[in-house]
Amino acid sequence: MMNLLKEAMAKGRATLSEYDSKRFLSCFDIPVCREGLAENPDSAAAEARKIGYPIVLKACGADLAHKTEVGGIALNLKNIRDVRKEGLRLMKIRGCEALLVQEMVKGARELVCGLTRDPQLGPCVMFGLGGVFTEVLDDVAFRIAPLTLGDAREMIGEIRARKILDPFRGEAAIDQEILGHVLVSLGRIGLEYENVAAIDINPLKVRPDGKPVAVDALVVLRKER
Amino acid sequence: MMKKEFGPFFEPKNVAVIGASATPGRPGNDVIRNILANEYRGAIYLVNPKGGEILGLPVLPSIANLPDGVELAIIILSAKDTPQALRACAEKGIRHAVLSAGGFAEVDQGVKIQEELVEIVREKKLRVIGPNTSGHTSTPHQFTSTFFPLGKIRRGTVSYIAQTGNFATHTMKYILTGEHFGVSRVIGLGNKIDMDESDALEYLADDPETSAIVMYLESIKRPRKFLEIAREVTRRKPVVMLKSGSTEAGRHAAVAHTAAMAAEDRLIDAMLRQAGVVRIWDYTHLILAGKALSMLPLPKGNRVSFLAPSGAMLVVLSDLCVRLGLDVPEVEPATVQRLHDISPPFIRMRNPVDIWASASVRGVEFGYREGMEAVLKDPNIDAVVPILMLTEDTGIPSYDFILDLKKRYSDKPLIVTFSADKKYMDECKNYLEPLGVPTFPEIEQPFEVLSILYRCAKAMNRPE
Repeated sequence: MMNLLKEAMAKGRATLSEYDSKRFLSCFDIPVCREGLAENPDSAAAEARKIGYPIVLKACGADLAHKTEVGGIALNLKNIRDVRKEGLRLMKIRGCEALLVQEMVKGARELVCGLTRDPQLGPCVMFGLGGVFTEVLDDVAFRIAPLTLGDAREMIGEIRARKILDPFRGEAAIDQEILGHVLVSLGRIGLEYENVAAIDINPLKVRPDGKPVAVDALVVLRKER
Repeated sequence: MMKKEFGPFFEPKNVAVIGASATPGRPGNDVIRNILANEYRGAIYLVNPKGGEILGLPVLPSIANLPDGVELAIIILSAKDTPQALRACAEKGIRHAVLSAGGFAEVDQGVKIQEELVEIVREKKLRVIGPNTSGHTSTPHQFTSTFFPLGKIRRGTVSYIAQTGNFATHTMKYILTGEHFGVSRVIGLGNKIDMDESDALEYLADDPETSAIVMYLESIKRPRKFLEIAREVTRRKPVVMLKSGSTEAGRHAAVAHTAAMAAEDRLIDAMLRQAGVVRIWDYTHLILAGKALSMLPLPKGNRVSFLAPSGAMLVVLSDLCVRLGLDVPEVEPATVQRLHDISPPFIRMRNPVDIWASASVRGVEFGYREGMEAVLKDPNIDAVVPILMLTEDTGIPSYDFILDLKKRYSDKPLIVTFSADKKYMDECKNYLEPLGVPTFPEIEQPFEVLSILYRCAKAMNRPE
C-alpha cells in the first residue's frame, strides 16, 4: 500500500488514479465498490462478465481527476457489445491509461466525505451530501483529526439533510457504524500519511441495505518541494 | 512540556508599576487607583524617574532601585520604551509582566518593537500578558492591573478571557454598574506574544476559583493545542465563546484591530464543536452568559415552561423556543389540574401558561406563585421563566415568593423577565439579583440564556 504512494510520488504524479485511490482507501477498511482494471475493451468485457452486468465503465488515469467533464464515464452498460463500443470511445480520451470496470451500485442516496489540510488546524475530515450537487447544496460538516467515533457520529448528525440517514424510499437507514469508521479512518490517514494532501470520496453511495460504499475516489498527493 | 507558570499573575505577592504617574486620568495613575480600590494586600512599588510620592505611596526613580523578590511588573509605558523596561525588570529578577502599551503589531511601525519583546521574553524566559492589553483582574486575590478606572471589582465565580481591550474596561464598567454578578479572573490577552488563549484556558481549567469560562476571541493562535485543552476542560466547566472575524468583512477588521489572522471559520466552528465549546454570536451574550452561569444551575434538559400575561407573548415565545432548540412540552395531567384550580373556569390551561386570568382575578402574587410552583414541580420541565406582570393597576407583589421557589426548586433554572412598569422592573431586579435570581429586561433574553445553558449541559455530558 505504501508502494502505491511512493511510486506515484516518484513519478511526480499529483494524484492517484481512481483505481489506486480506492485500493489505498480499502487498506483502511473503507468499503469500495467491486471493480477491475482492463487494458483494452476486450479485457474490459471479460472483467464485466466477472463482476456481472449492468456495469459502469470509466476512463482511468493518474491525471484524469475530473472524468465527468471529459465524458469519461459510461453508466449502466448491460452487454458485451456496449462495453466494447464505450471502451473504444473512452480509450481515445487524453490521459486515459486503462479502463475501469465497476459494479453499478444501486441506491438513491449519494454522500461525500473527504480529507483536507489546514495550515493551522492540520488534517480535517469532511462529511456531507454528495453527488453532482455537492457544492450547490453546500451541506457538509467538518471535524479536526484525530476523530473519535463520537466526533464522527456528531458530524454525521450535523448536516441539514440529516433525515437522509433514516429509511428512505424503501431503502434501509444508513449504517452509521460503518460511516463513522470511514470518517475516523480518513482522519487517521491525514495524521499518518503526510504525503496525502487531500482525499475526495464522491459519491459515497448508499446501497439499498444502508451500507455505504465508495464509488469514486481521488487521493491528491503532496507536491514535492 | 512543563506547564507554564502563570500563578503570579493571579496571586502576586507584590507588584511594581513601571510608569506610575502622578497625573490623574493617566493610565499610569488609574492603574494605581484600581489596585488600591480593590484593597490589594501585597506590597506596591511605583517606578518613575521623577520620584516623589503618588497617592501616598513612595516612588522609586528606576527599576534598578526596586527591592529583590518582586513577582509581577505592570509596564505602562509607550511602546518604544517598553522593551528596555522589560529587560531591566528581567535583570532585576522579575519573571512576570503585564505589558499595557499599544501600538505594536496592529500598526506597521510597532512590528519591530513587538519582535524585540518576543526576543526578550524568549531569552529571559519571562511570562508576559500583552502587549496592547487593558490588563487583567483576579478578584479572589483582590488584584487588578487594569488601567481603566473601575474601582472595586465585584467578586464572582465566572472568569473571562478576552482578546479585546473593551471587555476589561467598558464592558466591565457596565457589569459593575448595571448588573449584580461578579467575576473571578479576567484576562485581556492583547497581542498574545506569550500568554495566549490556550495558556489562559489551561490555567482556568484547574483554577478552583473559576466555575465557568466565557471567552471573546478574534483569532486562535495554536488551534490544535486549544482543541486538546478545551476538549478536556469542557467536560468539567462550561466554556462559552464569541469568536469574531467569521465573515470576510469581520476578518479584515480583525487584522487592523489586534493583528489577528483568522483561520477559515468553518473549520474553527468544527473545532469548537469538537472541543465542547459553546459558541455564541452576540456581544451582549458575553454578559448574559456570564450572569446566567454565575447564578443558575445548568438545566437537565431543554424542556421549558413559561408563564406570560399575554396571548401574543405565549405564541411569539413558543416560536422563539423552537428557533433556539428549546422544547415547550405538555405537562402532567396533575399540573394541568392545578393550573385550572388557580384560574377562573373560562380559560383552558396548559404549557406555556397563560397566567393573566389567574393573576388579575386572584392576585398577581397568588397567580404567579402557584402557577410557577405547579410547573417547577412537574417532572417534564427543566427550567421555568415567569414574565412577571408589574403594574400598580394590578398590584406589585412582594418578590420574596420567587426567592422561596428558587430555594425549594434549586436544581431547576428560574429566570425572571417582565411586562409593564420599568420602575418596578428595576426594583425587582435590584432586589432579586443580589440574592441570586437573574432577571432580564427583554422577554427574549431568558430563552437565549437557557439555550446557552442547555448547550453547556449537553457539551459537559457529551459522549466520548
